[in-house]
Amino acid sequence: MAYEPQYYPGATSVAENRRKHMSGKVEKIRDISDDDLTLILGHRAPGSDYPSTHPPLAEMGEPECSVREMVEPTPGAKAGDRVRYVQFVDSMYNAPSTPYFRSYAAAINFRGVDPGTLSGRQVVEARERDMEELAKFQMETEMTCPALASLRGATVHGHSLRLPEDGVMFDMLDRCRKEGDVIIMHKDQVGRPIDKKVNLGKPMSAEEAAKRTTIYRVDNVAFRDDAEVIEWVHRVFDKRTIYGFKPEN
Amino acid sequence: MANDKQKMFAKHMELKYTKEHGTNKMEGGDITDKTVTYYRLGVDQNPRKLEMKKAGKELADKRGLVGYNPMMHCGGIPLGQRALTPSFLSGTDDMVEIDDLHYVNNAAMQQMWDDIRRTVIVGMDMAHETLEKRLGIEVTPETINHYLETLNHALPGGAVVQEHMVETHPALVDDCYCKIFTGDDELADEIDKQFLIDINKEFPAEQAEQLKAAIGKTSWQAAHIPTIVSRTTDGGQTSRWMAMQVGMSFISAYSMCAGEAAVADLSYAAKHAGVIQMGEMLPARRARAPNEPGGIPFGHLADIVQTSRVDADDPAHVALEVVGAGCMLYDQIWLGSYMSGGVGFTQYATAAYCNNILDDNLYYNVDYINDKYDGAANKGTDNKVKATLDVVKDIATESTIYGLENYEKYPTTLEDHFGGSQRATSLSAAAGSAVSLATGNGNAGLSGWYLCMYLHKEALGRLGFFGYDLQDQCGATNVLSYQSDEGLALELRGPNYPNYAMNVGHQGGYAAITSAAHAGRGDAYAVNPLIKVCFADKLLPFDFTKPRKEFARGALREFEPAGERSLIIPAK
Repeated sequence: MAYEPQYYPGATSVAENRRKHMSGKVEKIRDISDDDLTLILGHRAPGSDYPSTHPPLAEMGEPECSVREMVEPTPGAKAGDRVRYVQFVDSMYNAPSTPYFRSYAAAINFRGVDPGTLSGRQVVEARERDMEELAKFQMETEMTCPALASLRGATVHGHSLRLPEDGVMFDMLDRCRKEGDVIIMHKDQVGRPIDKKVNLGKPMSAEEAAKRTTIYRVDNVAFRDDAEVIEWVHRVFDKRTIYGFKPEN
Repeated sequence: MANDKQKMFAKHMELKYTKEHGTNKMEGGDITDKTVTYYRLGVDQNPRKLEMKKAGKELADKRGLVGYNPMMHCGGIPLGQRALTPSFLSGTDDMVEIDDLHYVNNAAMQQMWDDIRRTVIVGMDMAHETLEKRLGIEVTPETINHYLETLNHALPGGAVVQEHMVETHPALVDDCYCKIFTGDDELADEIDKQFLIDINKEFPAEQAEQLKAAIGKTSWQAAHIPTIVSRTTDGGQTSRWMAMQVGMSFISAYSMCAGEAAVADLSYAAKHAGVIQMGEMLPARRARAPNEPGGIPFGHLADIVQTSRVDADDPAHVALEVVGAGCMLYDQIWLGSYMSGGVGFTQYATAAYCNNILDDNLYYNVDYINDKYDGAANKGTDNKVKATLDVVKDIATESTIYGLENYEKYPTTLEDHFGGSQRATSLSAAAGSAVSLATGNGNAGLSGWYLCMYLHKEALGRLGFFGYDLQDQCGATNVLSYQSDEGLALELRGPNYPNYAMNVGHQGGYAAITSAAHAGRGDAYAVNPLIKVCFADKLLPFDFTKPRKEFARGALREFEPAGERSLIIPAK
């Protein structure tokens, strides 16, 4: 019988959403064009070639190596792309994703990625076109609400702050705004103005965000109420503690 | 039950977030509101930032070279896009500007560290034995008093024995002195009171008995070299300065020959054999002398802080004062400056000792423990609950979930602890200290700390800075490790313990957990009775019975530090 990963314990909607993020089986809910994505990432001009740090691997005459033979390079590595980043900030007020689940989603479902997980932000570094594939996936799916999550390379303050009246997470550099019924981004990841307003789509309603979120909150799905998750954490804790004390067991 | 108690942070949150400070427009609303208006007022909304902006401009005009300019932040967008709010030192109603909790802006914080770094404890007994057994010189309480009078002239930099010597100006070194303490009541009675740290007077009776039993008939000098000397040199200088002046004072007070071999024995005793440093020397890769913060074990810091002798019946309070002292010293000064540099560490550290958020969590835990475990969080030894993993899991889980739910029910507390590292420190310090209080076991408390980190991470899908994952995910494995260094008793661990050397927001909490274990039992000291007595001294510029109040006085510019140079510089 084929093995089916279980990913995560828990009987609540939050636990189920966590399993979805980790499995990569998330719903696509908006389209963002390649050029728009390039603009807001801010690493190169839309339509320009990918800058490279080395020639394509096929032209490099790589040494004989069994690992190289076994591991198919990612498209970015094959082409010699430089390493670039995408960094998300997710509000604690029911943003769909959270730093750890962005990292798990990246590490499980994408190759050649280097996720970094903090409290207010989550960064993935990868070869540029590989990074763009991941960024597009996360931005176009239910992993991201454009009002409750945003791309921020630096000055990331905001994930824990109260929401302003329009529901768009606080950003010191004011990179995103609500215009009409959609969220637009008029600066790139590090706050440099860009040539056009990029439409990131409609924000989720409060009800929809609460339904899709991966964060436990007492005013939505309380952590206290997901007994299986707590039991599982206790089990990890027990094992790690006992391991240090008596490693032969 | 305790869920319904008055939230200790509520008053401070209301003053911070529903009352205007400066011109920040934080007027109205409720501390449970989930939305707020961001006015983007910049630095001009805050009185201290305005003062700093003006000073920066004056500096640039005066020296012809630009300096502080808040408009340099992020291409012309200054701080203050959200409201800049003040803070309250926990356990007080003192409202301060957050800038004034950076140690550079706070004379009390500087003095706390100065007072530790310039302190060394030197035994008297080896020296007395040398004098009596080798040289046949009689040592009596009268000769000890004479020696101490000589030493209090010499220790600040006064000359003895030699002619035509330079000396330090007494007004520049007026914080330097040496006192004596002993567990021998008869000897203590004979010592001139100006020189004596009187254990019977400074400690509650039951603590005094513990301390005297531990110290016995031995006698010790509590020496504090001048702040100005310590600042100009380093912590390693403290024992050297002390030993030199001890040697000279013995020669003078006991009319010895300056060159006789016994003097070397006195020096050896003062420099090596009979000396207690506040901090151990660090290994080459973090090369620091003794008496630098990276070498101060958590048990030492728990003993340096003196709340346990003035508020022994409230062991949670004892732990909370140690948190304040520890976060300031270990996070702001050691990791923040010695090991890293910059200004960011202040925000991590102050979360643990400002605005009563941690205090509320820990006092909730005290109620929870006392209800469920029959008063186990009260001071005592017979009331403790056995330290098992089940007890750790029960207390730490309840503590963590209570703290997490506060952030969710009171969005202003979440905004106050705006970083995950701040929340992790506060939640884990509460959980760990609570387990310590209930069990009287510091390593059980440490276990609670790590479980809290796991639960926090799973609940919110986030924890702290990168390093929290490394340090806190492997920490549980080292709580009871069979490997002696990894499994060290928490009292003897310190900032240089392998996994603790890398991340802010932990070490103050660890010191508090250590302290809670012993304060919870009613112990007079955590690890070293000599250090506990040494700092039971009102003459020290920094009041170690209430570090958080002292930090407030520093922030309010009310604290009078030592080691000032006004006497020898042009008047302004």
